Amino acid sequence: MTKTLATDPSATAAPPRRGPAARRGIDWLLVLAVLAVAATYVRAIFFTPLEAMQGPAQKILYVHATAAFVGLYLGFGLVAVASLLYLWLKDEKLDRVAEAAAEVGVVFTTTVLVTGPLWGKPIWGTWWTWDARLTLTLFLWFVGVGYLVLRGAVDEPAMRARYSAVVGILAALLVPFIHLSVYLFRTLHPMPIVLKPSAPSMPGEMQVTFFMGFAAFTLLFVAFLRARYRLTVRRDALVARGAEL
Amino acid sequence: MPDNAIYYQAAYAAAAVVYAAYALSLVWRSRRLDAVERQLDAQDETGGARGQR
Repeated sequence: MTKTLATDPSATAAPPRRGPAARRGIDWLLVLAVLAVAATYVRAIFFTPLEAMQGPAQKILYVHATAAFVGLYLGFGLVAVASLLYLWLKDEKLDRVAEAAAEVGVVFTTTVLVTGPLWGKPIWGTWWTWDARLTLTLFLWFVGVGYLVLRGAVDEPAMRARYSAVVGILAALLVPFIHLSVYLFRTLHPMPIVLKPSAPSMPGEMQVTFFMGFAAFTLLFVAFLRARYRLTVRRDALVARGAEL
Repeated sequence: MPDNAIYYQAAYAAAAVVYAAYALSLVWRSRRLDAVERQLDAQDETGGARGQR
């Protein structure tokens, strides 16, 4: 008589996969970036002097101008560079970089558009004015959102990458116009106080806070970009395995 | 000096909300991909077990 043994099914089943989901842990770069941003907030709020004419509202500079630099110059600048290189080399990684940079760029531009009116109201007496810099920044935000919508609307990967590369390059062309708009047109928006050929027109203590904010938000941008890029890589890998996303 | 601290406080809070919301959206999308990945792994294992029979 053949002896039968009761076996635990889990003992014979294939071992559980140790895929990327199992390996992922805390995103230490994001934690570091959040700590840097928190330190900037503390320094700006408690240890940076008030500007005599504008009062406390001038502290908006440390979240508004830094977000503008990161979102417009780094975010959309990277979209343009990655898109141009994609059209030349047709490397999917470059398309992924452009996708991630566009989304993070839109996030930082959203901060610019939210904090700007909160600065404009006490200083200009109005939340919004249709002057060149504000209008062009809003237009860039719409083009950025349009870029992301376009990516979601085209299923064929190569066509999606090509179309969005063209839109990404066109969006980034707005950035130099936004920077120069205060010189080219009569606007309420002040001239640059840091990004200009001469030395920054700001006292030393304010400069330290500004550059600290600049470093912290750049770090946050890199952390967001890396996390978003990783999501794109995982999404593409799952689509290649037959997932419908 | 004007008393307009409420505007910068609102701006700092709004910026924090925008960044926190985006960070949460990244976490949410990552978890969604985890769920899809687990589903695919389960399907692969089921398919593999059927193939061995």
